Amino acid sequence: MTFNSLQFLVFFMVVTLWFFRLKNQKGRIWLLLIASCYFYMSFIPEYILILGGTIIVDYIAGFLIERNEGKKRMFWLVISLVANIGALAVFKYYNFFIHNIERSFSLFHLTISIPFLKMALPIGLSFHTFQAMSYTIEVYRRKQAAEKNFVVYALYVMFYPQLVAGPIERPQNVLPQLKEFRPYNWDNVKEGLARMLWGFFKKVVIADRLAMVVDRTFAHTSETSSIALFTGAVFYSFQIYCDFSGYSDIAIGAAKVMNIRLMENFNQPYLSKSIREFWSRWHISLSSWFRDYLYIPLGGNRNGTLRHKINILIVFLLSGLWHGANGTFVIWGLLHGLFVLLLTMNYEKTKEKIGSFLSAILIVFNFVLVTFLWIFFRSENLNAAWRYIKAILSFRGGSNYLGFSSRNEFIFSILVIGIMMFREKLLPGHVVRSNARFYFYTIMMVVICYYFGVFAENQFIYFQF
Amino acid sequence: MFKKILSYIFILFGLAELVASTSRIAMGYIAEKRDNDKWWGVEQLRHGDLASISGLAFLNKFNSDTRNNLKRVSYDGPKNTTLFIHGDSYLWKIQNGDSLFAGVSSLQYIGWNSHYHYHFDSPGKNILIIEVSERLVRDFYGTTEIIDELTDTILSQGRNSAIISSLQPDLVYNSFCFQFNRGDLFNKYINQNLQCNLFNYNFMTPMFGCKAASNYYLFNRASGDVVISADKQYLFFKQTLSLSDKGSSYSFIPDSEITLLINNFNTICEYYKKTGFKEVYLSIIPNTVTVVQPEGYNNLIPRVQKDPRLKMKIIDAYSMLKESKEDVFLHGDTHWNSTGKQKWIDMVNKVLVSM
Repeated sequence: MTFNSLQFLVFFMVVTLWFFRLKNQKGRIWLLLIASCYFYMSFIPEYILILGGTIIVDYIAGFLIERNEGKKRMFWLVISLVANIGALAVFKYYNFFIHNIERSFSLFHLTISIPFLKMALPIGLSFHTFQAMSYTIEVYRRKQAAEKNFVVYALYVMFYPQLVAGPIERPQNVLPQLKEFRPYNWDNVKEGLARMLWGFFKKVVIADRLAMVVDRTFAHTSETSSIALFTGAVFYSFQIYCDFSGYSDIAIGAAKVMNIRLMENFNQPYLSKSIREFWSRWHISLSSWFRDYLYIPLGGNRNGTLRHKINILIVFLLSGLWHGANGTFVIWGLLHGLFVLLLTMNYEKTKEKIGSFLSAILIVFNFVLVTFLWIFFRSENLNAAWRYIKAILSFRGGSNYLGFSSRNEFIFSILVIGIMMFREKLLPGHVVRSNARFYFYTIMMVVICYYFGVFAENQFIYFQF
Repeated sequence: MFKKILSYIFILFGLAELVASTSRIAMGYIAEKRDNDKWWGVEQLRHGDLASISGLAFLNKFNSDTRNNLKRVSYDGPKNTTLFIHGDSYLWKIQNGDSLFAGVSSLQYIGWNSHYHYHFDSPGKNILIIEVSERLVRDFYGTTEIIDELTDTILSQGRNSAIISSLQPDLVYNSFCFQFNRGDLFNKYINQNLQCNLFNYNFMTPMFGCKAASNYYLFNRASGDVVISADKQYLFFKQTLSLSDKGSSYSFIPDSEITLLINNFNTICEYYKKTGFKEVYLSIIPNTVTVVQPEGYNNLIPRVQKDPRLKMKIIDAYSMLKESKEDVFLHGDTHWNSTGKQKWIDMVNKVLVSM
C-alpha cells in the first residue's frame, strides 16, 4: 500500500485510533507489528518471508554478539552482515552481475548462459537491511544493548511508516521509544498530521504533476528540443525531491502522531552551495549511515590525502550501487564522488568569506550540476543518459511539447514549486499551536490536494530501492 | 467518554471498510445492492465508462450512448451452427443474440473470468470465436501460464467435452516457495473498491464533476486514468497510451513476445479443434487509440494476424474498423459503438455463411 492511497488513509486511521485506545505498551507493540506486517504484505505477501528471515538472523546475532567476546563476537557480526548483504546480493544484484559476466565473456566472443532470477525486487529491501545492519553493528560496538524482546526488535525493523523507504533509523533512537508508554498528546497529533498533509501535497500536487513532463521528455529524447529536455531534467530534480521528501514527511508525521520521533531525512538540499553540502542535506539517514559504518571504518580522512580521496570515492560508488543494480546508478554515485573531490576542497577552505551574491551563484551552479547528474539516475541506461545530456548541450531545436496540455499547467507547476521552496525555507516546522489554525490548515490542504492533486496511483520513486 | 465511543466507531468503520473492500463476495453484494439511481447508488457509467470515471460526462461530445442498437440478420438458410463466443466487454450483453448471427441455432457466450463446461450434443457445426480486446491480449495470451492451464486442467477432459476458460492473470502467482491465492487476502483492487464504498455515491457526483471541470478548463486534461485525444474528440483509457504498459498501443513489443503469442494461439486452436470444434477464430478488437491516433502504434494486431506461422483463422476487426468511414468507437467509453459492433457481426456472418 502506498502512502498516497485510500487504503493507507483508512489503515492509518484504524491503527492510530486503536493505538491510543490500548492502555499498555505490550499491546501497542503487537498492534504496530501486526499492522506493519499487513502494510508490507499488501505489496507482495510472500516477500515478508525474506524480511522475516533476516529479522530472525539479526535478532539471534545481536543476542550472541552481546554474550560473546573476541573472535566469536566478530563471527556473529559477520553472520548478520552476510545474511543482510546476502539478501541484497541475491534479490537485488544477482541479475546485474550475471548480465555483466555474460557481457564480459561476449567481449572475447564466448557465450555463457547463467539463469536469471525471475522475481521482482522486494519493496524497500535496501532500506530495512541497512536499518537491520545498523543494529548489529551498534551492538558489536557496545553502543546498543541487544534487544531481548523479539517483538520489539521485529518492530524496530518493520515499523510501517519507515519500513519501505526510510528514514533509515538507528537503534538508539527508535528502540527506547518503542518500549516506552507515551500517552496521547494532541500537540504531537496536530504536528504529525500537518506534516503528513504537507507530504501529500508535495507528492500528489507537485511530484506527480511534474512526472507528466519528466516521463514525456525522457521517453521522447530524440525529437525534443534542448530547452524542453533541460526543463524536463530540472523538473525531475524537483519531482524526485518532492516525491522522496514527501514520503519522508508522511513517514515522520505518521510516527509523530503516535509520539514516535524519527530522524530528519532532508534539509532543503537544493539550497546547497556544494556537492558535499548537498549530501549533508539530501537523504541524511543514508549519507550518515555510510559515514558511520563505511567511511569512518575505512579510515575517513585520517590516513593521508590519497587514502581520504579513495575512501570518498568508495563511499559514493557504493552509495550509487545501493540505489540500484544498474550502471546508471554506479556512474551517478561516482560522479558525485568526483565532484566532491574536485569542487569542494577549495570551497571548504574559503566558505567563510563568501558573500550573498556569490552564495546565490554557487547555489544555482550546484543545482544545475545536481540536475545534470540526476539524468543518469533517471535514465534507463548509460546510453540513454548520454544521449539526453548531449541533446541538451547541442542547443538544438525540436518539439517543445512537455507533456502538459495547457500552458496553465506549466505556470501552475512553477508556482507550486516556488511555494514549496519558500514555505520550507521560511516555515520549516510543522507545529500548529492554535486549534483553529490547525483545522483551517487541514481543510485547506485537503481541498488543495483533492482539487489540484494528480491521482494516478504513482508509486514513490524510492520504493524501487 | 464521547471521544472514546467515537474513536471505537471509527475503528470499527475503518476495519469494516478494509474487510469489505478486500472481499470479492462483499463487493459483489454491495455492487448489486447499489446498482440503482438513488442518492446512495453507485455511478451507473451509462454515459460511457471513461466519461463517468473522469467526471467529464457533462460535456456533450464525450457523453456516449452505450445502448446496443443491433439489427436482426436476414438469413433463410439452415440453422445448424452452434456458435461459441469466448469474449470480453466488447460483446457484453450479446448472450441472447442468436438472431444476430446467420445460421446459428444456439449462441453460447462465455465471458472472461468464467468457465464453461460444454458437451457437443447437437449434430451441427460447432464454431468457436475467441474475441479479445487489444489491451488484454498480451496479459492473457503472452504468458506461458495459459498453456500450463490448458495442459493441466482442460486437457483432462475427453473429446466432445471440454472447458472454455480464461486465466485471471492477477490471481495466478507463482511464488518462489509457496503458492496461495493472494486475491483472497490482498485484493489488488482494494483502492478502487474503497473509492466506491467511501465516495462513489450519486449524491457526490457534483463534487467529482467540479474537480473534472477545473482540470478540463484550467489544464485542458482529464483526471486519473483518462486521457483526452489530441483532436479533443475522444477519451482514451490511459493504460492504452503508456510507453511501458502491456495493454498500450504504443509500448515496445519484442519479436520474441510475438512468437510466444503465436505459439500460444496455435496451441489453443489445436486444442479446441481436437475437442471437436469445426473451426476456431481469433478476433482482436483494437484499442480506440490504435485506430483514432495511430502515430507511434506498435502494430501488435497486424504483426500477429499477418504472421505466416499463425494457424488460427482471423476475423480481422482491426482492418475493418480502421478502414471504416463511419464513427465506430464511442467518444467517452473504452468500447466501440453500435456501428462498430454491427460491422463486426456482419463480418462474422460472412464467415458463417461461407462455411
